[in-house]
Amino acid sequence: MRNGLWIGAAAVVVVLGCLPATGWGRIKLITLPVRERVEIQLDNPDATLVEEERIVPLVKGENQVDFSWASTQIDPGSIVFRVIGPADGKALDVKVLSVSYPPNEAALVWAVGASDSGSARVRISYLLGNLTKSFAYRAVASNDESKLSFSQYMRLQNFANEEFGSTGLWAGFGKEFSKPIGINETKEMLVTRFAQVPITKTYSCNPQEFDYIDRPQNKLRVPMHYVLKNDKANAMGTAALPPGKVRIFIEGAGKEPEKSTAFLGEDWGKFTPIDDEMKLYLGVAQDISVKRTIDKNNRQRVAGNLNNREIVLKYEIENFKDQEVTLDLSENLKFVRNELAGDTGRDVQWELGQETTLGQPDKEKSTFEQLVFHVKLPKKDKDGKAEKVIHKLHLIIKNEW
Amino acid sequence: MRRLLITLIVLAGLVVPAMAKNVDLSTVPARQSVQLTIYNSEDLTLVRETRVVTFKKGVNPLQFSWANTLIDPTSVELKFLTSPAKLEVLDTTYPHDKPQMLYWNVQSEIDGEATIQITYFTSGISWSADYVCISDKDEKQMGFEGFVRVYNNSGEQYENAQIRLVVGTINLVEKIAQLARVPMKDVEGMERDGKLKMLRSQAALLPMAADDSVAIPFGMATTRPQEEKEIIKEGLSEYFIYTVEGTESIENGWSKRMRSFEGKTVPFAIQYRYRPQEYGDRLVRMYLLTNDKESKLGTTPLPNGVVRVYRENGRDGLSYLTQQTIKYIPIGDKIELNLGVDPNVIFELVKLRSSRDNIWLQLNGMDVFRRVDDGAGEIEVNSAVVGWDDHSLYTQRIRNYTTSPVDVEVRRSWDGDMIFRSSLKPILFDFRTVQFQTTVAPASKANLLFELVQHQGRNAKQNHIVLEDIEVKP
Repeated sequence: MRNGLWIGAAAVVVVLGCLPATGWGRIKLITLPVRERVEIQLDNPDATLVEEERIVPLVKGENQVDFSWASTQIDPGSIVFRVIGPADGKALDVKVLSVSYPPNEAALVWAVGASDSGSARVRISYLLGNLTKSFAYRAVASNDESKLSFSQYMRLQNFANEEFGSTGLWAGFGKEFSKPIGINETKEMLVTRFAQVPITKTYSCNPQEFDYIDRPQNKLRVPMHYVLKNDKANAMGTAALPPGKVRIFIEGAGKEPEKSTAFLGEDWGKFTPIDDEMKLYLGVAQDISVKRTIDKNNRQRVAGNLNNREIVLKYEIENFKDQEVTLDLSENLKFVRNELAGDTGRDVQWELGQETTLGQPDKEKSTFEQLVFHVKLPKKDKDGKAEKVIHKLHLIIKNEW
Repeated sequence: MRRLLITLIVLAGLVVPAMAKNVDLSTVPARQSVQLTIYNSEDLTLVRETRVVTFKKGVNPLQFSWANTLIDPTSVELKFLTSPAKLEVLDTTYPHDKPQMLYWNVQSEIDGEATIQITYFTSGISWSADYVCISDKDEKQMGFEGFVRVYNNSGEQYENAQIRLVVGTINLVEKIAQLARVPMKDVEGMERDGKLKMLRSQAALLPMAADDSVAIPFGMATTRPQEEKEIIKEGLSEYFIYTVEGTESIENGWSKRMRSFEGKTVPFAIQYRYRPQEYGDRLVRMYLLTNDKESKLGTTPLPNGVVRVYRENGRDGLSYLTQQTIKYIPIGDKIELNLGVDPNVIFELVKLRSSRDNIWLQLNGMDVFRRVDDGAGEIEVNSAVVGWDDHSLYTQRIRNYTTSPVDVEVRRSWDGDMIFRSSLKPILFDFRTVQFQTTVAPASKANLLFELVQHQGRNAKQNHIVLEDIEVKP
């Protein structure tokens, strides 16, 4: 404790002598054992555990150890008092006999029995509110957007109304820190840095998820993402990535790229387990145009009111960029069925028709009702003209009524 | 007593039961012992105190008052522990102008001392249980400590009281806190209804029966100062009684927590469970142990209470895992502690395929049905689908990024007439719930495939699930 004394003027008070616990407002002779060590465990996503070690002088017989936490949000039920051992090597049998809680006070009194006079090393653990952590990331892409330097920071906010000197901090993964944390202070610490993380810059369109950018002209919105995979093969994969804000930068060109680094934007990184991908939204691509029209929408009666539906979706795609890109084209088939035939509430039973030019859907990324295709788009030609690439998705939606 | 809120007054020198209106001479016999029997299922404590009173031959008036406490006036009873054959309560008077007071007229055939026992119910004293579990780093064994905490908000300080805690549920027809505020003029109506009789007979059953089991004399602290008090546990009828060794003083407004038992190396297992009805739509990690002797527990049922779970983190400290409230756990029963989601075990249900078949149409509103693919020729336009089977192929993906194998149990429920096809060796937990288990090795993944066939419309004949042991391919 320093100037704050927020865990009471006498955070731990040892009443010397065998005083009976007959009253809170009694005359006391007290000692004030200081914190020998403090650890803050941040590995639980919902709670912060503080562990502090103190050396408590005891006399033979019963002792009172008072603990108070004025103006702090300690969960009194969570307080655990553990005797680690004698502080000076002298054999000492120490036991907690009982705990008493005075009325209307943030305090408690341990009755501690000692077999002899001496000092005991004790550890007091408790859950402390308003001492919270969050995570933030800084991603710096190489100028060619093929690699990323990805830094993870832990941000500790201390609104717990208690000051901690040099304190061990652990997030449950990564390295352990030893830092002082003052009242109302926010401390940001670099947990880990992943260098040279391969990334893919994706251009996507999906009318269900991203909608149209120009509905009258049937032009789809084409968002861009950096996609990084949290696995060993991609220089990551040491632990799941907790959610947090990601600030995205890109290095400039030339010999000293870091001097001309530019800010690209920011996105919320979702919780990303090992082997999963984190997608970072960069904005909407202005140089790629995808026009989606419906070439065919025919109902074919099978029997009674049972029918199949033949649908052909046409995509006219232009890439106005100076480099070749791959477009991830997605269609949610339930969305397509609902758009053209109304919502029946049933799953879509489908087959790909022969007119499809997109090839087979990506098995890894597709689901039973969402198809993902990868479309390569050539760069502009020498005259600056973009080639119009036309693709069709031919669907037979079966057994509808 | 810090405050003389309960007084017992011997009105000396009077030979008739009538009391003087304003001028009295009284003596105040001190408590010799006091015993509290506290119930945690109700706001009820039976107080039994003894005092030594000197009687003279003839009629002796005794006054008993309980100002500013929460005593039920209908429950106060006087008993003579010595010379019971020579002492008799002639009548009990509740004066209309003095609430929280009564008078007894005692007929005595002796001149001398007698020990009397006064019992009554009070509210405002309660107790609760809580537990602290600390797992070892490898999560094989844990320290399991049980505590009891006694709260005294009764308005009275009971010094050097023997404390007994009753585990179990009793039946009360009225709350003691309410009865403590009932004027005696209203009691007669309640007596007529039989309510008080029932209340007394039910609530008094336990403590009276437990009399013989009290081995420690009142008022005597039997432990050495540096020794932890033992909490003696004994079964009684459908209940369990904890008796705190020696005596305790708990001031009004204070509470006191004592350890009731400890299991130092309690073995436990870890299981991952998906049971949406119990734990929500997520896979949770569980510590599973048993309240029995083999598990170094089983000395007592575990009353309702909060369990806080920690783990030694291998870095000379603890990690906080969870806290949860458990319900009463009998000796021999399981203790299941839900630690929540483990970010290192990923659990996903992915639908791979969906289709329909066995489609039936009803012809033109008539009682004629035709299966679509029965080859019997074209079906009229004016007919409608009335029955079909939905086929859905799923994979239950489990990824284990921990360093130990994980045992996963999955329960999934569906309504309707269903077939569950898989080679997962499932069982039916109930008519609508399928349960299957698997173990996923460290740093590996499992894809558990199953197909659901749901009979819809007129194809649905039952509301149940049929299990079919068939290998399902993606």
